[in-house]
Amino acid sequence: MLEIAQLSKTYESPGRSVEAIRSLTFDVAAGELVCVVGPSGCGKTTLLRAVAGLLPASGGEVRLDGVPVTGPPPRMAVVFQEYGRSLFPWMTVWQNVELPLKEKKVPAPRRRELVTQSLESVGLGDAARAHPWQLSGGMQQRVAIARAVAYEPQVMLMDEPFAAVDAQTRADLEDLILRLWRDLEVTTLFVTHDIDEAVYLGQRVIVLSSSPTVVMEDLKIDLPPERDQLGTRSLPRFGELRGHVYSRIQAARG
Amino acid sequence: MRRLLHGLLGLTGLLALLEAAPRLGLVDARFLPPASEILRTLAGELTTAGLWLALGETMRGWAVGLALASGLAVAAGVVIGVVPGLRAATSSTVEFLRPIPSVALVPLATLLFGPSLGSTLLLVVYASFWQVLIQVLYGVAAVDPVAHDTARSYGLSAWSRVRHLVWPTSLPYVMTGLRLAAAVAFILAVTAELVIGSPGLGAEIQVAQSSGAVPTVYALIVVAGLIGIGVNTAVRLLERRVLAWHPAVREEVAG
Amino acid sequence: MKAVRLLGLPVLLVLLWWAVSGGSFYLPSPDRVAVAFAETWFSDRLTGDVLPSVGRLLAGYALAALLGGWLGVPIGLSPRLRATLEPVLEFFRAIPPPVLVPLIMLLAGIDTPMKVLVIVSGCVWPVLLNTVEGVRALDEVLADTCRMYGIRGWPRVRGFVLRGASPQIMAGLRQALSIGIILMVISEMFASSSGLGFTIVLFQRQFQIAEMWSGILLLGLLGLGLSLLFRRLERWVLSWYYGSGAARA
Ligand SMILES: Nc1ncnc2c1ncn2[C@@H]1O[C@H](COP(=O)(O)OP(=O)(O)OP(=O)(O)O)[C@@H](O)[C@H]1O
Ligand SMILES: [Mg+2]
Repeated sequence: MLEIAQLSKTYESPGRSVEAIRSLTFDVAAGELVCVVGPSGCGKTTLLRAVAGLLPASGGEVRLDGVPVTGPPPRMAVVFQEYGRSLFPWMTVWQNVELPLKEKKVPAPRRRELVTQSLESVGLGDAARAHPWQLSGGMQQRVAIARAVAYEPQVMLMDEPFAAVDAQTRADLEDLILRLWRDLEVTTLFVTHDIDEAVYLGQRVIVLSSSPTVVMEDLKIDLPPERDQLGTRSLPRFGELRGHVYSRIQAARG
Repeated sequence: MRRLLHGLLGLTGLLALLEAAPRLGLVDARFLPPASEILRTLAGELTTAGLWLALGETMRGWAVGLALASGLAVAAGVVIGVVPGLRAATSSTVEFLRPIPSVALVPLATLLFGPSLGSTLLLVVYASFWQVLIQVLYGVAAVDPVAHDTARSYGLSAWSRVRHLVWPTSLPYVMTGLRLAAAVAFILAVTAELVIGSPGLGAEIQVAQSSGAVPTVYALIVVAGLIGIGVNTAVRLLERRVLAWHPAVREEVAG
Repeated sequence: MKAVRLLGLPVLLVLLWWAVSGGSFYLPSPDRVAVAFAETWFSDRLTGDVLPSVGRLLAGYALAALLGGWLGVPIGLSPRLRATLEPVLEFFRAIPPPVLVPLIMLLAGIDTPMKVLVIVSGCVWPVLLNTVEGVRALDEVLADTCRMYGIRGWPRVRGFVLRGASPQIMAGLRQALSIGIILMVISEMFASSSGLGFTIVLFQRQFQIAEMWSGILLLGLLGLGLSLLFRRLERWVLSWYYGSGAARA
């Protein structure tokens, strides 16, 4: 469904060029949840922006259903790393979620339904009339997720969405993502630098090397499909997988 | 480098447009002479002593007025900000006097001083005073209350508090006020000359216009624009210089 | 207590005015100015001079706001256009607006169009340059969000570009307002036969000193009124901005 083939990106600016990604190749099947981990600065955001069609690649290509991605595809949603900045501060939570639907010309009754549902599903039914800056960081992040969900995307991209929230909120949001992913059967590419999170969420984990970046390993996570914070994380297999990914990242750094 | 090139392109384009429009008869050349003629007139004007004398007058009014206004405003601002209760007592008056457009004082200036430096100064000082005062008040209010309490608990005198705490904190604000006031002062200096006839660039423009010397009017307006740019650049540089040590500026440069 | 704080100093100043004005030719006492104010301005001068002046001011200001915003958006959005036009715009901004009055009189005569044009020519630069600056500094993450969710064209300009740049645009409009008042007065001091600026100069020429002061007072009240109105507008348009605390940063 989503194919990334020999993707490379070098940032060119006068007097300086940064090779952020050397060459990345991997696929994401329809309905799959794939996590990408890698050290900070290895080009995870770059990868995601290239997949989203926001950034032209220097080489290689990204294909969605066999069609090369050249601009943002219509049924793709992104939750940005800087979630606070991705919400329109002059709009209420409701308006933020509704805006993309208006642009898609979704009829008003259906729009209302989608917005209500998605806000309910992230537990923000009551905050609809608030402005983003009246919410906590974790709540803002959930608004961004609700907006993506309401858009009814085929593919959802998430860039370290939980980097800036506390541990408890983070656990809740992780389970929220798992639930939404299962309910909506949306293909998800989830970027993180947290190994535990990657192993806990993913059906596969792609380990990136540090810059210039290549795929170090494409690891199948053979944990039972039902996951929960305490049970899954205390499985011996979870520990093994985590240790494995950890050692690969250490190797990547060295 | 690219930016510079583009900028030059823009300026060249403007000149080309101003040259072509009257030559092609798109506008009446009597009202908009071709750019080359304006520049030629400008070059001619620059060799006359009259223009330089006028410029000297304008800049004198500007500088003296700005200095007076800033001095008064800083003194008033610090006193209002430091003496307890004064801020609240003066705020309604400040809020009322500040928006009075300084040109409202034109008739008064004419009456009191006639067409002379005094008129220019009255308008310039009134207009720039508020710009600086407001900023100083912001600045004094920005003094960290903890730092203020610390200074008091160590028994610093009022004067040392102003010198070592209030003044350094408000300096960036003072400079902002000065930057705004410098532009306003230039506008008002030229206005006084133009309307009241105090000697200077504005009066020259007025004379050129009433004698129908259209290219000269344009040339003098160009001079006014160049001086305006000069004034803006000069205060920016001064601001940088004075505040080189200040974190606010360091951030701005880094960011 | 609050009333004392609010009115204490003004009352004191008026009393001081009273005290020093005794017998002075240039400074009539406050009561004489007050009487002159009522007699002068609550008459057909209100409809003949004051309202037309204010009307021209508002017309010129509104035109300048539209023009500045309308040109500022494309310039701010295109780095190349911006680099090309920036020096030209900086130059025009640096020209003190009043010097354009004699020029515009040459081009547009001495009637209402000239006066409105003068106001437009002075007010447009702060609006334009601030709009350019505001649009340039729009948040990239929000820009990406728009691209991702297919928000483009006019909805993008209205919902994202103009709203995101509105704090700077409002700052430009505030500067433009004070320039507009100055130009309204000046344009009427030249070769005019009606209007607020003309009337005040006329009083001065005829040594009607109390009337002249009442005119100064009226201009002050006008400036104050407009700036209060503007502050209302600003609070309303930028409520999200003050709320988010971005204004303090
Ligand atoms: N716009 C840009 N111009 C130049 N270099 C860039 C740009 N964006 C990113 N880079 C460089 O590309 C590399 C990868 O950056 P990227 O943001 O993709 O990393 P990341 O893996 O998302 O990091 P983090 O985990 O901290 O978010 C870094 O070396 C960065 O400096
Ligand atoms: Mg990143």
